[in-house]
Amino acid sequence: MKYKDYYAALGVPREADAEQIKRAYRKLAREHHPDVCAAPEAEARFKDIAEAYQTLRDPDKRAAYDELGRRPAGEEFAPPPQWAREFAGGAGSFDEVDLADLLAAFGRGRHRGAHQGSVPVRGRDHETAVRISLEDAHRGARLNLQLADEQGGARTLEVTIPPGASEGQRLRLRGRGGKGRHGGGDGDIYLHITLAPHPVFRADGHDLHLDLALAPWEAALGAEVEVPTLDGPVLLKVPAGTRAGRKLRLRARGLANGRGGRGDLYAVVHVDVPGTLTPRERELFQELATASRFDPRAVAAKGGAS
Amino acid sequence: MTAHPVEVGWLDARETVTRIELAQACGMTEAEIAELVEYGALRALPATGAEPVFSAECLPAMRRAGRLRRDFDLDLFAVALLLEYLNRIDQLERQVRSLQAHVPFHAPAVHREGPQPWREPHG
Repeated sequence: MKYKDYYAALGVPREADAEQIKRAYRKLAREHHPDVCAAPEAEARFKDIAEAYQTLRDPDKRAAYDELGRRPAGEEFAPPPQWAREFAGGAGSFDEVDLADLLAAFGRGRHRGAHQGSVPVRGRDHETAVRISLEDAHRGARLNLQLADEQGGARTLEVTIPPGASEGQRLRLRGRGGKGRHGGGDGDIYLHITLAPHPVFRADGHDLHLDLALAPWEAALGAEVEVPTLDGPVLLKVPAGTRAGRKLRLRARGLANGRGGRGDLYAVVHVDVPGTLTPRERELFQELATASRFDPRAVAAKGGAS
Repeated sequence: MTAHPVEVGWLDARETVTRIELAQACGMTEAEIAELVEYGALRALPATGAEPVFSAECLPAMRRAGRLRRDFDLDLFAVALLLEYLNRIDQLERQVRSLQAHVPFHAPAVHREGPQPWREPHG
C-alpha cells in the first residue's frame, strides 16, 4: 500500500487542530473546486485534498492514520497486522487496497469491529449532459450514452428519451448508474438535456418562435403565406394591417409536451423592404408616399411631447 | 447491452420523490431533509399519506447543494440558504432562455456573455 501525506496535501502541521484543518481545506477546496477552476488537473487535485480532509476531519480516522507514523509520500508500507483483523475480518492482504478505503472503514466504527465487507454501499450516481435536436425533443430519440464505470472502463447504454423534453429538462434513469455492493442499491443516471440551436425555430419551453418576413404590401393588405412547422409547411393567413412585431399564433404546432399536448408556434412578423428598387417600384412607392397620410411616428411624437 | 428497457423519469412536477429517496439522491439523512423543510428551503407537497413527498423538480438543486455541502463542509443552515439561491439562479436562467427565444434573428446582435473587455482606442 502506498503512503499518502494528508497533512502535506492540506498544508497543515501534524499537530494542527480541527479548526485549522477545516480552514485550510476550505481555502484549498475553493481554489481547486472543478466548478470554479477550469485547469485540467483541478479535479484530481481537488480529489486529493478532499481525501485528505475526509481522513483528518474524523477523529477516529485521524488517530488511525497517525498510527502509521510519518513516511515519505508514495512509500510502500504494510499497515499494522491488527488492522487486517479489523478491516477485512482477517482475510487477504492490503496490496490492492487504497489507504482512503481502509481509513474509511475506521470511520465507520473501528471499536465496533465493523468489517468493510458487511456494509451495504449504494452504487455511484452518474451525471451527464446531452444535446439533442429540436426534432428529437419533439419526437423522442434514442441515444447511446458513454459512461465510465468504477473500474475505469467504459460502457455504452442505449437510452430512449421520450417525446416532450424541453431545454434544460432533467431526466433520471433509475438503477442504471454504478452497481451497489453488499446489498446496496444501484446508482442512478441523471441526464441534463439541452437543445441544439435550430436554424428556423427558437424554443421557449414547449412553444416555438419563428421569424416571419413580410413585404410591406403583404403586411398592409393581408396575405396567405407558407410557413415552416415541425410537421411540414402550412398556409398561414396574415390579416390585413399586420404590424411588425405582431405574433401570429399557430395553435398546437410547437413541441410535444410529453403529456399528450403540444406547445404553440408563434410567427413573429417583421416587415422587410427591397434593398434596391426597380424604377417601377420606386414610382409606386413615391406615389404611395404622396397619397398616404399614414405617420408611423405619430404615437411616438405624442408620447415624447407629453 | 441490456435486455431491460431503461426506466426514464422526468425530474419535474410530473413526478414525486419520497423523503428517503431524496435523502439518498443528495447524500443526506432523512432528518437533514426534515431540517431543510423546517428552514423553509424545501417544501413537501400537500400530503396524502403520512409520508412526506416532494416534487421531483427539487432533485437537481438538492443534489447540487448536497455535493457543495460535502465539497466545502458546509453546515445545514448554509445549505438551506444555498438552495434558495440555486433555485433562484435556475429560475432566472429559465427566464433568460425564454427571453432569448423572443429575440428575432434579424435583431442587432445581443451581447449575451456580459460586459465586453474594455479597449483603449488608439490615440
